[in-house]
This record gives sequence, C-alpha cells and structure tokens, in this order.
Amino acid sequence: MPPLASRLRSSLNHLAPFMGLISIFLAGAILNQGTFLNLYNQLNVLGRVSIIALPAIGMTLVILAAGIDLSVGSLVSFSSVLCAMLLMEREWSRASVAAILIGTLFLFFVIQGAVRLLLPSGGGLRWLPPVVGCAGAAMACWMSLQVVPAGFSTWMVLLMVPMVGAVLGAVNGLVIAKGKIQPFIVTLGMMSAAVGLAKFIAGKGGQIHAIYYEAAGYVAAGTVGTAPRSFDLLSSKIPLFGIPLLPAAGLFFIAAALLAHFILTRLKFGRYLYAIGGNEETARLSGIDVDKVKIRVYAFSGGLAALAGVLYCAAYTQGKPDAGLTWELDAIAAVVIGGTSLMGGKGSITGTVAGVLIIGYLANILNLQEVPSEVQDILKGVIIVGAVLLQQGIMGKWLRRLFRTRYE
Amino acid sequence: MSITDDPHAALLRMEGISKDFSGIPVLHGVDFELRRGEVMALVGENGAGKSTLMKILAGVHPEYGGNIYIEGRVTRFRNTREAGQAGIAMIYQELNLIPELSVAENIFLGREPHGWGGRVDFAAMNRAAERILADLHFKAPVQTPVAKLRVGHQQLVEIAKALSLDARIVIMDEPTSALSEPEAAVLFAVIRHLQERGVAVVYISHRMAELFAIADRITILRDGRTVGTVGAQEIDRQGLIQMMVGERAERFFVKAGMPAAEILLSVSHMTRRNPDPARPALVEDISFTVRRGEVFGIAGLLGAGRTELLEALFGVDTGHTTGRMEIGGKEVHLRNPESAIAAGIALITEDRKSSGLVPRMSVLHNLTLAALSRIALCGNLLSSGKEAALGEKMRADLAIPIHSLDLAVELLSGGNQQKVLLAKWLATRPCVLLLDDPTRGIDIGAKYEIYLQLADLARQGMAMVLTSSELPELISLCDRILVLREGRCSALLDREECTPERILDAAAPAA
Repeated sequence: MPPLASRLRSSLNHLAPFMGLISIFLAGAILNQGTFLNLYNQLNVLGRVSIIALPAIGMTLVILAAGIDLSVGSLVSFSSVLCAMLLMEREWSRASVAAILIGTLFLFFVIQGAVRLLLPSGGGLRWLPPVVGCAGAAMACWMSLQVVPAGFSTWMVLLMVPMVGAVLGAVNGLVIAKGKIQPFIVTLGMMSAAVGLAKFIAGKGGQIHAIYYEAAGYVAAGTVGTAPRSFDLLSSKIPLFGIPLLPAAGLFFIAAALLAHFILTRLKFGRYLYAIGGNEETARLSGIDVDKVKIRVYAFSGGLAALAGVLYCAAYTQGKPDAGLTWELDAIAAVVIGGTSLMGGKGSITGTVAGVLIIGYLANILNLQEVPSEVQDILKGVIIVGAVLLQQGIMGKWLRRLFRTRYE
Repeated sequence: MSITDDPHAALLRMEGISKDFSGIPVLHGVDFELRRGEVMALVGENGAGKSTLMKILAGVHPEYGGNIYIEGRVTRFRNTREAGQAGIAMIYQELNLIPELSVAENIFLGREPHGWGGRVDFAAMNRAAERILADLHFKAPVQTPVAKLRVGHQQLVEIAKALSLDARIVIMDEPTSALSEPEAAVLFAVIRHLQERGVAVVYISHRMAELFAIADRITILRDGRTVGTVGAQEIDRQGLIQMMVGERAERFFVKAGMPAAEILLSVSHMTRRNPDPARPALVEDISFTVRRGEVFGIAGLLGAGRTELLEALFGVDTGHTTGRMEIGGKEVHLRNPESAIAAGIALITEDRKSSGLVPRMSVLHNLTLAALSRIALCGNLLSSGKEAALGEKMRADLAIPIHSLDLAVELLSGGNQQKVLLAKWLATRPCVLLLDDPTRGIDIGAKYEIYLQLADLARQGMAMVLTSSELPELISLCDRILVLREGRCSALLDREECTPERILDAAAPAA
C-alpha cells in the first residue's frame, strides 16, 4: 500500500496546473491590487481567452488520443472568412457554395449515423440509414439554397460554419486513420490547405471581409448587404445585475468545456480516447474501432475551431484569411500547461481550462504592468517550458537533491 | 594486489542495498556477492526485487542506500555509462537494439571507430564486429539490419555488444523468455564461453530447469530481502522453491481430466496469408475442435505461427484470413476484434505491456475497457456505479491483492498485471478463451494462481486455446496439443501422447 506521501505527490501532479493558476492570480492581485481584482477586469480576461479556448479544448481531446491538430489556426481563419461572407453576401459566392455543399455532406453522415444508432443491431433495413440521410441532407440543402439571396442568419452561421469545420477535421482524421500517416504531417497539410481555401473563397488574393451592421449613414452596395443585428450579440456582454458584464463568448467557452468534460468522464467515446492515447494496440484488441474514434475526434476539433472563427468574426467584425495565425501553437501551449501529456493517454479538460486562464492572466497582468509585447512573448515561452518542467517532477527532483535525505 | 589475484575473491559485493520508489520500499538491505567467472542465478518471485537490484548495479537507479564494492573498492554509479565503463553490462528483457541499423552498427553504437574528420571507418567496424561474433561462434553477416534477425540472434548481438565493452559482469534479465529451446541452448553455450573468459554472469530467470543447468550458485530474494546464497549442486528444485516462497509449500499443478462434452469451438481450414505476398503464409490450413471445458494447446517454436493463429481466431487482420469458424454449432463471421468479443471470444495477448493493457490507465478502467457496454446506462453513457461494481467483482473473483483500483496498472507487479489482464477479458463473459503464453515472465506463485483460475474456468465449461513457451506447462495443462511447424499443423497429440520429445520432434523444422 503506497503511503500517504506518494499518494499526495501523485495528486500534487494533478493539481500542478491549478497551483500555477492560483499563484499567477495571487501575483496579479499583489502587483495591481485595484485593477486586477476588479470584476470588470476578470470578465474581460474571460472574454479575451474564450475564443482561443475553443480550439484548445478540441486539441485536448486530440492530444489525449496521442494525436496533434496543427490545422486549428487555419480552420479559425477559414471559418472567419466563411462566416463574414455568409452574413454579408446577397448573391451566390464561393463561400455559400462551399458552406452548402460541405454542410450537406455533414448532415448526410450525421443523419444516417443517428438512424443507424436507432435501428436494432444486426437486423435488416440496411438501406434505411443512407436513404434517410440523403433525404434529410437534401431537404436541408434545399432550404439553405432559399436563404442565399437574403443572407444567412446568425443561427444558420452558428450551425453551418462549425459543420464545415467538422468535415475538414474529419478529412484530417480519415487520412490519419486510413492512410496510417502521422497526425503531424496530415494536419500540417491541412494547415496550409485551409489557409489557401480561406484566401480562395475570400477572392482577390485573400481580401478581408468586414462586417457592417445596418446603421445610419451606411448604405449597402452591390452584392453586399448588412449583417443581422443578432450577430452582434455574439460579441456583446450579457447583463449581470443590470450591468453588461459577462462576455457572450465566455458562455461558449463554458459550454464547450462542460461538454468536453462530460465526454471525457462519462461517455464511452472519452474512455476510447484515453485508451487509444495510452496504447493503441490494446485499444484495437479491446474491440475499439480506432479509426472511427480518430475521425470523430479530429472532426470535433475542427468543429470547435470553426466555432472560434465565428466568434472571432463577431468580436473583430471581420473575417480574414490570417485571423487564426499561430493559434494552433497557443492551443497546444494551453493544453501542455494544463498537464496533458503530449504522449497521449493522460490529461483533463480542467487542466486545459487552467492552462488557458494562466496564459490569459499572464497577458493581462503584463499589460496592466505595461510590459512591452515582445517581452510578454519571451515570458510566455518561459512559462510554457517551466510548467512542463514542473509537471515532470524535475523541479521536485532538484529540490530533493538539495535536501537529500539518506535512505535508511 | 592480493585481492584481485585470488580467483575466489569477490569481484562484486553489494552490501545492505535498500531502495524505495515514491516511498514504497522495494529492497530492505540486500546482500549480494559475485565471483570472477561464475554464473550466479538470481531468483525470487515477482516483486522480490531482482530487477531493481540489478538496475542499481547497472547504474539505472543512482539513488539507493548501502554500498557496492567492486574488487573491494566502494563504487557508486551515477548513470549507466559509469557502470558500463566499470565493465557492467545489462541485457534487458526488452532488447535495446535499433532495428534499422546493422549488427556491427548496433554493437558499436556511440563508439564507432572513426578516421580523419570523424568519418566512420565502416571497414574497421565490421572487422571488429566479425571478430567478436566469431568469439561467440555466431555466424551472421555483420551488415544485416538487426530487424531481420530472429529474437534469439538479436540477443546474441546484445551479448556481443557487452563483450565489445570489455564487460566483466554481464546481467541477463529473463534472457530466454522469448527464445525457443534450441535458441536457448545456443545462449547457454555462449554463457559457458563467457565464463571461461572470466566474465561473471548474473542470470535472472523463472525457469527452474535452466537455473540448474547453467548456474554455479543461486541467490534467492524474497520480499526485498536476501534469503540466502547456495551452490546449485547443494539444492534441488523443491528446496529452491521452498526458499523462494517461504512458508508456502510448492504446488504442483496438473489439470484434471475432462469429461466428454459437446464441441464448442470448431475451426476449419484456417489460413492467414502473409501481408507480403512473396512470403509463405503465417498460418496455413489449420483445423481443430475444442470441447466445452477443454484446454487445447498450441505448441511450436517461436515464429511457427502460434500468436498469428490466435489472432486470426480473434478477428485480427481479417483481410488476409480465410477459413470457417463455428461456436456452439453456429458459424461466426469475424470482421474485427469487436465482432469477436460479441461472439464470445476473448484473447489474452502475449505481451501485456504492448497489447494487453493500457499501462498508464487505472486498474479499474483497464478492467472494464473491453466490456464497456456492460457498464453503460444507455448507449454511450457510462455508469460509474456499475463500473465500480464490476471492478470490485472482478477484483474479488481473481483475488487481485491491491488496495485501490485507481492505481495505474503499470505500478503493479507482473503477476498482478496478468491477473488484471485475465479479469479484463473475463469481464466480457466469453465462452472461448484464447490465451497466448499467459504466464510469461511471472513468478511461480502467480503462475499457480493462474493455473487454478484456468482449471476453474474449464470446470465452468469454458473452451480454452492455450499457447506457452514452456513445454512442461503446456503438457500439464492441456487435454490435447496441436503442434505447429512453419504455420502448418505437424501433429495433433492426445493427452497420453504429449511428451516433450514428441512435441519437440514435431515442432523442429524438417531441414
């Protein structure tokens, strides 16, 4: 039976990200008493980290399954452009064609998968799922075709853009699983392809598509209309106690984190991810359809990245082909600071949430201290590596050596 | 120096060695002594501390209590390189070779002879490698990639590497666990040869017969303490087991005969082609039946297709497999392991670390991994209550002696890991159990418990297909034995016919 000390140490390893979070919070509180602890500032940090937190949450699941997704930054860029164009354009554009085609594909797979789940296993009716899938997807496609001349609504972009992201993510997963190619290579390819795709649909060598709301003095010209007012809500602050405080993006962050946590702790799928990350061969021989799990986890990651693109579009009132430049690195950094092992099989969403907040607080504190941004980048790099050093217990080893106790 | 001149003086003395891992004591003051040119067997049940003690000697664990004396001088290795420089080489159970590099490159890895400007002198390296291999009477082209050698030969490359380092002490951890009997015989010849050159060998093994064949002296460890050191001539198998297990008496095991029961598993014309079409089939045209309650053995040398056959019966690599399989008279079509599990088949794989368990996962999650549908509330939603209940039941059924199911399974001893593996598959409620060398590398106590489990399962009507790298185990456990030779069935022996001689005769290649 392991004595208390070793059990304490193992739980300390689990707690490392949270201790990091608490210490950085305390540091902020001490350095800038007034401003840092202010509720307004706290919620401001939440708003700032929320968008980048979404790809980090998807990345956590991918990394747990011993994968990596380098394409999330490009998918953010792509989906921000897609989102802006769907909202603004009043005629057929490359964006609407891409969104409707890929969205239809997504619905076909999801609907037939859902029907297959409902059917009794092993029975006949094999033709039913694809037929229902086709019918459902065709209906949705026809409905969205009607929408093009009027411009897409907020609800529709919130549904369609993540669908497109999920399909592109699923392509990652498909090539990784069936082609037996390292995730690093495949998602590196997608990273380049998705930026290209973003520039292609944007047109004119990748121009920025700005979002305008109907307002006095602004006149819609040519094929460009205005975005629905409700889209602005995505970047607004929701009133708490009558004061607009809680950033809407924060709600998406919280919801995504809760969903991912639920998947990892309560669903078979989550257990499969840990098993595949821990030992893929064992997972396969335990009856897990490893390929299917991989495709789904990359689709999940792509979908969350695309949702981040929509929120980016709302926050910065534009979609641009380099919106998510290097976001994949920030996402990986948050996951790693959160204690998830890049080897896979070990980690948690709570850790990633802590990781995201640590990065957010760090930037906030340094901004409040008026530290120049180049110094901030250096410090961020040090924190990433330092956090991992801490978690690997190397610091502990150094400390033990310092106070070396002889074994009896 | 007079000490070094005395041939019987200790080359190595380890005194009062103690070691703990995260506060869990593993060794409590172990004493160990080694003389020049002797083969010292180190035995003990799993968890007795054999590997830990030897890893301390090889510099793997630099933090320990006690002292190591080499030729009378206190020595403390801070890493494996220092131990290597002092002439200590350890050959691990999992070999440390780089598969793509040639034999010579592996032998001289990191110490390549080089000429001007750091250019590797391949000619000199190959010549030197050939010299060392000739010393070992091992004929292999030194430029072959190691991956192309059989496991037994790879082990010889490791030994050659140790010799090239001028090792004075060679530690072998379970060297024969992956070897067939003829390969083991070659290894023993090499050990004798090392002995003649004055090299001291520490030999860790669970196989009694080998110990008496090769060792001069035997040191017995139990629960992290030295029980004693005896001459191999002064003790018999019974006495040795007594010292290893302590109070507990030795337990022989022979499975009870089997009542005539109906046929549960029937396999006909099972063939598994090699993914490389130019090479011969892995398994060719195998047919057999297994009755309810029967233990059906598959014997054969390493590479004869034992593992490949069991995998084929479990739906692995169905793209290359043909043949017909019936369970309880109904034909089953396997598409993948998932469908095999659904059909009531379970496969206990040969290597628990690489394909049986997820080492970093908790014991509980490992136990339920193949039976997640049993603990689902509905569809994909898992019930932690059901999971805990199933875990507790499996722990009680197999008497897994751990205090918490939340421990990572990699922290358990080999025997307990094997129990977890067995429990994991029994949790799927199979009717056909495929066991690929289920007692590999575990101690006698744990082996015996596994035997009891298997006998109990047989009584309950389970049909079992068993392979083993140890013939005596196979003979004592199995009702019938099918012998494989190069993927084909070369004999099907009834219980009365199963003698080591007949099995080996059928297993040995014709040429």
